[in-house]
Amino acid sequence: MRYALLVQGAPYSHQAAHSALRFASALIDRGHRLETVFFYHDGVYNAQRLAAPPQDEPHLIEAWQRLHHEQGTALLVCVAAALKRGVIDERESRRHGMQGHSLAASFELTGVGQLVEAAMTHDRLVTFSP
Amino acid sequence: MNNADSSTAMLVVLRHAPHGSSWLREGLDVALVGAAFGQSVSLLFLGDGVQALIKGQQKGALGQKGTHPTLDMLAMYDIDTLLVDADSLAQRGLAEDDLQLPVTLIASSQLLRVFSRHAPVFNF
Amino acid sequence: MLLHLLNRSVASSHVYRDALRAMDDDDYLLLIEDGVYGAVAPLNEHFSSIAGRLYALREDLASRGLEGRCAEQVIVVDMEGFVQLTEETERSVSWF
Repeated sequence: MRYALLVQGAPYSHQAAHSALRFASALIDRGHRLETVFFYHDGVYNAQRLAAPPQDEPHLIEAWQRLHHEQGTALLVCVAAALKRGVIDERESRRHGMQGHSLAASFELTGVGQLVEAAMTHDRLVTFSP
Repeated sequence: MNNADSSTAMLVVLRHAPHGSSWLREGLDVALVGAAFGQSVSLLFLGDGVQALIKGQQKGALGQKGTHPTLDMLAMYDIDTLLVDADSLAQRGLAEDDLQLPVTLIASSQLLRVFSRHAPVFNF
Repeated sequence: MLLHLLNRSVASSHVYRDALRAMDDDDYLLLIEDGVYGAVAPLNEHFSSIAGRLYALREDLASRGLEGRCAEQVIVVDMEGFVQLTEETERSVSWF
């Protein structure tokens, strides 16, 4: 089956991202496809490029990126929720006359319409909240 | 229940009060975008979410926007199924007269039908 | 048929009451994260109305030192069991 996940918890503040990553690997092991992860609310902080967790903690951002590279999972970040929280890509940074950007590679800013569409087009949507 | 045939309608459940967190605002955003995408959208106000409907809300003292102006825009988006859990309302000492919009009250025993008859369900 | 997910302890949050009211007779409830504290007696008594349909996630019990303390009536599943529950149910609703 085709799965989408909605992640709404900030990394390292709540267990939501850890749970979502564990669920992701289990569904892949059972032969399903994880096509989309949508980050909303404080979940957008999962896409922070400059996160530097200590070495004895799981690196959540890299774990998301591995899913993208190995499974082709789309990592979609709600642009409205992200920009006001300081998660910004190069294009939006230029548009706002800012220097630098904070969105990690493999993640993309997108509208919340993509969440509605994911709910309609995937077989399953599972939400992980803080 | 006025929505017996709404199995393809999207349900957005609002369970958080205004101002204290962004859950209500971000939940409403999903509802508006869903409607703009042509989906039939029902709102369910549950728990502290019923506080979103109380009359007389204002901006926050620092100028932070409230969610009450968004509620007045729901009709423009053709979101007119506003379901309110009657128990949540009564527990908070509120009655329909205290609300800024006309709503449909849902008895506790009917709550599960609201969940089973909608797809998808977004719970905020 | 729905799968309800609860990640809050019944000892500190009332959200489980709304989750139970939203459950149909054939829906399941899976306790995850801090929700698993509700799988231990006497807190599990709050879920007596859904006997046989109450699940708890093994890895969240284990990390919290609760695996041996889980009430008998609670069905313990691993992460694969969590995925299986989402296969069997049409959709899921997360309570937090």
